Amino acid sequence: MNVLLPLLGALLLWGTLVGLDVVTFPQSMISRPIIAGTCAGLIIGLLSPGTSVQEAVPGGMLIGATLELFALDVLPFGAARYPDYGPATVAAVYAAFGWPRLEVGLGVGVMVGLLTAVLGGWSMQIVRRANAAAIQRRSAALSAGQADAIRALQWGGVRRDIARSAGVTACGLAIGLLVWPLLPPGSENAVWLTVVAVGAGISAAISGAIRNAGRTRRLAWVFGGLVIGALTVVLR
Amino acid sequence: MNGRFRAFLRLLAVQGAWNYERMLGVGMGYAAEPLLEDLRSADPSRYSEASVRSAEFFNCHPYLAGLALGATVRAEYDQVPGDQILRLRTALCSPLGALGDQLFWSGVLPALIAGTLIAVGLGAGAWVVLVFLLVYNAARLATSAWSLEAGLASGMNVGGAISHSWLPRAARIVGPIAGFMVGLAIPVTASYALSWALSRQIGITLAIAGVGVALSLWFRHTVTSVRFGLVLLVLTVLWRWTTS
Repeated sequence: MNVLLPLLGALLLWGTLVGLDVVTFPQSMISRPIIAGTCAGLIIGLLSPGTSVQEAVPGGMLIGATLELFALDVLPFGAARYPDYGPATVAAVYAAFGWPRLEVGLGVGVMVGLLTAVLGGWSMQIVRRANAAAIQRRSAALSAGQADAIRALQWGGVRRDIARSAGVTACGLAIGLLVWPLLPPGSENAVWLTVVAVGAGISAAISGAIRNAGRTRRLAWVFGGLVIGALTVVLR
Repeated sequence: MNGRFRAFLRLLAVQGAWNYERMLGVGMGYAAEPLLEDLRSADPSRYSEASVRSAEFFNCHPYLAGLALGATVRAEYDQVPGDQILRLRTALCSPLGALGDQLFWSGVLPALIAGTLIAVGLGAGAWVVLVFLLVYNAARLATSAWSLEAGLASGMNVGGAISHSWLPRAARIVGPIAGFMVGLAIPVTASYALSWALSRQIGITLAIAGVGVALSLWFRHTVTSVRFGLVLLVLTVLWRWTTS
């Protein structure tokens, strides 16, 4: 496992940016696992000795694509609590690269990613409650229509989310560092984790697609896509 | 930089202070500030009241918040009574939330993400990720800019402007496309992630997926995808630990 400080620092910065993108600013979808994972792979390829960009970028894409199956189940509606897959993917890619063969590390990466995503979901609730508490503290100024108070509340919220994203990414990277010594040794065990992770990802994406479609015409389109996708895979 | 452009930039962070008390309220108040500047010199007492109203409770899809922001600011300049402006804000919450969620969260976003996954699964390089970001953000920024302009142009008539706009039609069209694309992406992505696997391992993966789908549809409130995945992964670690 690579513990170089520049690498960890760059991943922490990237994780913080994607964490901020989830809700606060600018929601440009760099926080989607496929994007966050590809860029995390690029960072690892550039800063990790012995890992080339040519192998790290596709590796990051593979982990991002697998976590994207889980993320497709999530609709980030208003007040709902949902896992934060942005920083989680950065941690997942870091954890997966602790193993020489990426398909073997994929399962461990997804496990680290899911744990971090749950942590990220909880941390969003804490930030939202802290924002509400800040509003109560400034309620008199808000009632008087003071623009300074609105500005302070807005920037306070942004600062809290930056701290949250950095904290979640740091925890995810720490889990990634600690998880390998705790796992049973041997690549066959890691392969089992990969098989389970991909199976759970497929399950998440299918059940999410069915739930989102409800009993509408969209459900037929989902099944049509599944059939054609399966045929594409078989015939390739 | 004029007021409209500053308001547009601030709308990109409209959820910056999201909370359970006022939801998007503070972000809306922050975005309204540059648009209300002319009112500050022309009618200071109205400006103060408008600032209070702009940061009241509000919630909708963040990309369509410009419609409500533009409409309420225009109403402030048109000297519409304050209670009517507050009623307009409240009335806009549900339709703008539902339309935006339908159009972006369950339409454009999953469709484009699925398209990216399909391209990656079929062997495209990292450039696909860049294409996704460009296409998605072009659509998102254009929608946000249109929202603010349409809101400012229509004021209290914003409801009619929304129902006669492209939004409801686009939301209806994009849903089935997203469903199809997501369905197509799932087998392709699974095959990409398991390109190294033996047929026995693929069989086990599909069995796990089947059990997961059944459980999460039958016990949808307790068996979430993350819980199912995490429990299974932890059980696998324990099983392999005890047998190795």
